[in-house]
Amino acid sequence: MAQWTRREDERLLTGRGRFVADIDVPGCLDAAFVRSTVAHGRLRAVDCTAARDVPGVAGAWSAADLPDLPPVPYTLLAGLSTEDAVAGREWPALVKDRVRYPGEALAVVLGEDRYRAEDGVAEVTAVIEPLPAVVTPSAALDDSVRLFDGLSNIALRGEAGEPVDPAVWRDAAAVVEATYRQNLLMPSPMECRTILAVPEGDRLTVWSGHQMPHRLRRELAALLGWSPDRIRVVVPDTGGAFGSKSAAFPEFVVVAHLAVKLGRPVRWIEDRRESMLVATRGRGQDQTVRLAADADGRLLAYELKIDADVGAYPHLGVGLPMQTAWMAAGAYTTPRVHATLRSVLTNTMVTYPYRGAGRPEAATAIERTMDLLAGRLGMDPIELRRRNFVPPDAFPYETPTGRRYDSGNYAAALDLALETLGYDRWCAERDRRRRDPDALPLGIGVSCYVERSGGEAGGLHEFGSVEAHEDGTVTARCGAAPSGQSHETVFPALVAKVLGVPEARVRLVEGDTDEQPEGLGSFASRSAQVAGAMLQHAATLLIERARTRAAALWGVPAEQVEWADGTVVHAAPGGASATGLGDLVKATGPLRVEDRYEAGMAFPFGAHAAVTEVDPELGTVRVLSLVAVDDCGVVLDPAVVRGQAFGSAVQGIGQALYEGIAFDDNGVPQLSGGFLDYLLPTFAELPPIDIKDTRTPGPGTPLGAKGAGESGCIGSPAAIVNAVADALRLADPGLLQMPLTPDSVWRAAHAPEHEEGAR
Amino acid sequence: MKPASFDYVVPRTVAEAVEALGDTGREAQVLAGGQSLILEMHLQRIRPGAVVDINRVPELDGMRVEGDELRVGALVRHAAFEPATAVPGPLGALLSRAVVNIAHPPIRSRGTMAGSFGWAHPASEWCAIGVALDATVEVTGPAGARDLPARDYFLGPHRTARRPQELITAVRLPLLGADTGVGFIEHRRTHFTFAQVAVAAALTVHDGVIVDARIGLVNAADRPVRAHAAERSLLGAETGRLPAGPRLPDGHPFALAGRIAAREDAAPVAQPYADVEYKRQAVAVLVGRTLLEAAADSHARLTAREGHHR
Repeated sequence: MAQWTRREDERLLTGRGRFVADIDVPGCLDAAFVRSTVAHGRLRAVDCTAARDVPGVAGAWSAADLPDLPPVPYTLLAGLSTEDAVAGREWPALVKDRVRYPGEALAVVLGEDRYRAEDGVAEVTAVIEPLPAVVTPSAALDDSVRLFDGLSNIALRGEAGEPVDPAVWRDAAAVVEATYRQNLLMPSPMECRTILAVPEGDRLTVWSGHQMPHRLRRELAALLGWSPDRIRVVVPDTGGAFGSKSAAFPEFVVVAHLAVKLGRPVRWIEDRRESMLVATRGRGQDQTVRLAADADGRLLAYELKIDADVGAYPHLGVGLPMQTAWMAAGAYTTPRVHATLRSVLTNTMVTYPYRGAGRPEAATAIERTMDLLAGRLGMDPIELRRRNFVPPDAFPYETPTGRRYDSGNYAAALDLALETLGYDRWCAERDRRRRDPDALPLGIGVSCYVERSGGEAGGLHEFGSVEAHEDGTVTARCGAAPSGQSHETVFPALVAKVLGVPEARVRLVEGDTDEQPEGLGSFASRSAQVAGAMLQHAATLLIERARTRAAALWGVPAEQVEWADGTVVHAAPGGASATGLGDLVKATGPLRVEDRYEAGMAFPFGAHAAVTEVDPELGTVRVLSLVAVDDCGVVLDPAVVRGQAFGSAVQGIGQALYEGIAFDDNGVPQLSGGFLDYLLPTFAELPPIDIKDTRTPGPGTPLGAKGAGESGCIGSPAAIVNAVADALRLADPGLLQMPLTPDSVWRAAHAPEHEEGAR
Repeated sequence: MKPASFDYVVPRTVAEAVEALGDTGREAQVLAGGQSLILEMHLQRIRPGAVVDINRVPELDGMRVEGDELRVGALVRHAAFEPATAVPGPLGALLSRAVVNIAHPPIRSRGTMAGSFGWAHPASEWCAIGVALDATVEVTGPAGARDLPARDYFLGPHRTARRPQELITAVRLPLLGADTGVGFIEHRRTHFTFAQVAVAAALTVHDGVIVDARIGLVNAADRPVRAHAAERSLLGAETGRLPAGPRLPDGHPFALAGRIAAREDAAPVAQPYADVEYKRQAVAVLVGRTLLEAAADSHARLTAREGHHR
């Protein structure tokens, strides 16, 4: 139907999407977990006996009842974890003797439906001897409370760049220092985690809302001790992921194990309460920064120290803070940059990639500090940025922290952001209000970010195929798995464009390991950049194969066969012969090319600008305008990219103003009211958001697309915080820590020292 | 989470409902809009033996003016108060200004005013208006009907003078005179969530002098609060020329009343992102601003009346 923008819209917007929870398998059992109400403690006993007598309960098990239950796998992908970090630190899928985060599963109950299973859960008793809980890096650092006996809570140390010579700080005209808290966030997809495991003969079919079906197949096969070809993973419609759905979680291990053990279908449909307690977290860093410049505002050195909260187990994200260290330099030519980090275990659920995944933390740190330095130098923060941007002719640019930026024009993005915002007009309004004692103060903030997309070395490739059929239609396959990224619309359009055939003739198949034997998945904003480039490549190969086939069919040299609009053409002196793709397949047999394609790492960038108004008596922040200029290289579908930018910016607003987890004295998150306690921005909170783009093609693939999905989360938070600091003219920006809740802003506004600088 | 199993009872009359509640062998909960109860049952923080669904009791529906009071039946939904003209005079304006702060439209289309009185959440807008205006809660139990004055009704968070076997049949609110101006301002972190603090105010002004003041504080204690001390400070004060902006000069009677309300009337309970000090600050600021809104409303009503008579 014409009114839908995307192929998937009609299905999804009319309630005909098919999610894991919609799949009806006869005889399927629902899993419900008995969860720890304490954050840290020794598990003395679990008794499931009474649960087994509850009508409709098929079974109940603690770790002691399942001696063969494998532990939760760790991942070395993208350096997210390391052998050293997990050595001696097992993550049992059900707690064996030590609870390390609130909500950790103590037992599982299977019932005929979720109601019965929960009735069983209510009958399980557990005895836990509480231990002191440490829920922040600063509390956990000194090892006075250890999560693993005999091992430090510091599970990984890392660095990027070289230490800065102390003389640089000593001799600089201006040096600023600050500390920032990157608040711990919940990814909060609309659909929580799901898994349905169905034994069929000697195989297991696993349905899951998942970003990396081939990884899930590989990890499940390893823990079952099976060869991967006995497992089929299928990803049906998935209601968002934001990075949080790419692992084999403890509950997944239990479900797969029990489905095989019992020979029955078993599913776990995570509900919101579970998700808020035990789904992976994002961000969570305590940062200390130091930035030096000469009297002209040329940056001399930047130092970033990170204490990262990685949660209770190092298996999934202990190395994630390296993403922050590698991107520490930001958009600037600072000659000396040194980032160090300590990944600290705490009594919280593990930290894992969440939209932005390490880059928002880097961007926010440098961009807040640039404003601080501008204030110290008495320089316009815009001008300070302009003086230090990596210039367009300097690419590829090697940063002191080991990144190789591929392409960019950072000043152009900033120019467009300021023009779109109406920067001069807002400056005049800000200055007018500063003279009017009755007016609410207004501030303007910018944030210029660079990020990395596609993945890390060793994970920059994707697999797929393009196949032509006798009826002239084309099937594209790839190893990606969408959770809302519009693959169904964008990829067929791309293949159709390369082949010169109508879009409607191209169909996409993905998210099924039986259909596509190898694949990496959807993460790191890689859909267009990597999978798109792979499909463009495969479609180009198909054209070459078709020309060769036609040449053989017609007995002419291949170079005399042209390709035009989905047709092979032989232009001979005696008249042209032409054959459509379908007829070629009929004449010559199945036509399918498949390949593995490797892209280069890409560095999208942009400039975000915010105007905020602050009510100093209540501490309320109102965003009056937010402009997001993003450059993701070549844009395949402007509407889709715009939607990504918008949603991402809203999540950036969430981090800046609303989202935070408060803990009680025992280390348990105070989230009993669900989304009444963990506040996401809603429609009513949204400011006017202007989305614009510049398009600097990425050199990493012929397609030229870079990642588009994470821009707002990365660029917007610092723009908003800088705008609030500007409104309040704060001398100590450490008073403003995200989320900027009214009480914290009120306290900052009434702190004794105010900057009365010349800005 | 799923609710634990429970019996579901659907009475057709108040008598049947009271009978269902009167079965002391099991804990019963009344279901009207269900916007709090069902969530609590999902989370198994409430595990009632029986749910008594009163939605099919026709005599509990509807609101009407009786004498100088508005009687709101137990099935009247929040959304009924959205038009300022749904209830006569300044009371209609006050309820209309307050109701848009209650969650969002789907919740307002199901939740009920009487249900808010039954649930007695400290952040309830209706409950604070109830204590400010001296509302009456009508209940019927096995021993018959009785009236509970709002001032004696709230005993703490989710604790009231209603006995478990009693059903709230209606809430009665006194109508406000034409010479009364009203204001309602709520402060919360997002539109969707509960108030950190909110204030309801009604000011009666004769010839520029305040002769009656009613101030209700939302979420400023473990129960709704009527700010008596702040009200007393206003009696006899002249409204004078009203400041244009939201900020009041320190010496203005409304600013003074705000500080008194924060210091003497409020007894804040600390919450994440709103400790006691911050809540007192918010009470002081919001009382001042709400009084300003009420005074402006009073002035506008007076001007409209004079224009009408001219």
